[in-house]
Amino acid sequence: MTEPVLRISEVRKEFGPVTALAGVSLDVREGETVVVIGPSGSGKSTLVRCAHQLESIDGGAMYLDGELLGHRRSPGGLRALNERRIAAQRRRMSMVFQQFNLFPQFTVLRNVTDAAIRVHGRDRSTVEQEARELLERIGLAGREDHYPRQLSGGQQQRVAIARAVLVRPRVMLFDEPTSALDPELVDEVLAVLRTLAAAGTTMVVVTHEMAFAREVADRCVFMEAGRIVEEGPPGELFAHPRTDRLRAFLSRHLSEKEGVS
Amino acid sequence: MTAMSTVEETATSPDDVASARGRFRPLRWLFVLVLVVLLAQLVVFLVGNDRFQWDVVAKYLFEKSVMAGLGTTVLLAVAAMVLGSLAGGVVAAMQLSGFGPARWVATLWVGLFRGIPPLVQLIFWFNLAYLLPKLSLGIPFGPVFGTWDANTVITPLTAAVIGLSLVESAYLAEIFRAGVSSVDPGQRDAARAMGYPPGQTLLRIVLPQAMRVIIPPAGSQFINVLKGTALVSVIAMSDLLHAVQVIYNRTYEIVPMLLVACFWYLVVVTLLTAGQRRLERRFSRGHLPVAPRRNR
Repeated sequence: MTEPVLRISEVRKEFGPVTALAGVSLDVREGETVVVIGPSGSGKSTLVRCAHQLESIDGGAMYLDGELLGHRRSPGGLRALNERRIAAQRRRMSMVFQQFNLFPQFTVLRNVTDAAIRVHGRDRSTVEQEARELLERIGLAGREDHYPRQLSGGQQQRVAIARAVLVRPRVMLFDEPTSALDPELVDEVLAVLRTLAAAGTTMVVVTHEMAFAREVADRCVFMEAGRIVEEGPPGELFAHPRTDRLRAFLSRHLSEKEGVS
Repeated sequence: MTAMSTVEETATSPDDVASARGRFRPLRWLFVLVLVVLLAQLVVFLVGNDRFQWDVVAKYLFEKSVMAGLGTTVLLAVAAMVLGSLAGGVVAAMQLSGFGPARWVATLWVGLFRGIPPLVQLIFWFNLAYLLPKLSLGIPFGPVFGTWDANTVITPLTAAVIGLSLVESAYLAEIFRAGVSSVDPGQRDAARAMGYPPGQTLLRIVLPQAMRVIIPPAGSQFINVLKGTALVSVIAMSDLLHAVQVIYNRTYEIVPMLLVACFWYLVVVTLLTAGQRRLERRFSRGHLPVAPRRNR
């Protein structure tokens, strides 16, 4: 079997006395869409934030294409990397946040292209051309010169996704990308995620959207209390939960979301 | 039926609010009346009272020594602001650092230079030679590269620049720290997530947003230091105030000479305020323009 793009191995994370991740292992293979579900506070967001090194981890190890993340091996044992080296590792991944976190002082076009130009050192006109095409495909043509605050939440989140796509990441991480949106704006963002998944993007999506998980995920991971409780193809997982906890979670979420529609 | 006729009625009705006049506001009329009376009194006072000696004000307004004093005042203010900003930036970074000893030093720095009255600090630096007769540059407990007599190094100018810069650095450090803290932590997260190295995260993403919060108080602080330079007249530094004092000590035309100083202080402060407004507009890009509040 080929090496996974992202390997998370026995990762532990504590916030003071609270254990957020109690030894989580997850392999994400090339082109795979992994959807992480679970109740609030189960550690889903912490997992992707740790994977992108926005939080340091307290134990375990993470690898991107086989390269150890955050530390280097030295004769005296492992050494934490400095922030510049970590930034270089982050450049091979990208992330979309629940609160969009677009840069308010930049226009839409600048938001999407700035990192690709300034950080990756790619040619401005090529990147801008690519950005305009991408913005058009996700329904944002003509918005290039708007500022983020002039856009709706759904539009802002689509810009944030475009920004994360344009740096050509090995893996994209989504931290509850639709949780801050008004219900009628959720679908336009999920549509973009579907397109990305269909195009073979390697991605990890933390979400509460069960229908989306069932439809798009190659593999679904159920977390609770900082552990992965169950994982598998979504059809199997949703139809035959093996644990009471997943069964309880599913009955709560499937009834309220899909019972209506 | 009745509903329909009502609709038709309002279209041509005298009740259409589009033609309404504003509310009657008697207090505003009273305010204007009082204002006009006070203004009239002020004009009579300024013009009618010949002790203002406006002819003397006009005579000395562009006097050479006054111009030189104005130059010194502006130069001191700019030097204190530039050096104070540099030091203030370092102190703010130390305050925001996760390294305890750096935070303690920064807190002590701010407490000390913000806590002691600027006038006291100026006199202290001017008298540094009493504490340290010799100033040396070298490696601690190692070789010395050069030694100078403190009395020649500490002139009124250097004492003034050191004193004012230190005071400025303490105030500006607080302003910078507040500005950086005001930026949504999600912005730093996003910059790091996009792979910006630490320096670019600060300079490209965080600081431009912090500037919106930093500029108004920093502008006030610049105005404060400009006025604060008047303190240096006590250590015989020939600033604007000192220049007019020299003249009125000779001619006893105290009031008109103080008016000369007031005029120039106000000119510079007005220019600074205009500059500050321009900067504020520049850094408010992307933050929807807030229309000035106006009640009708």
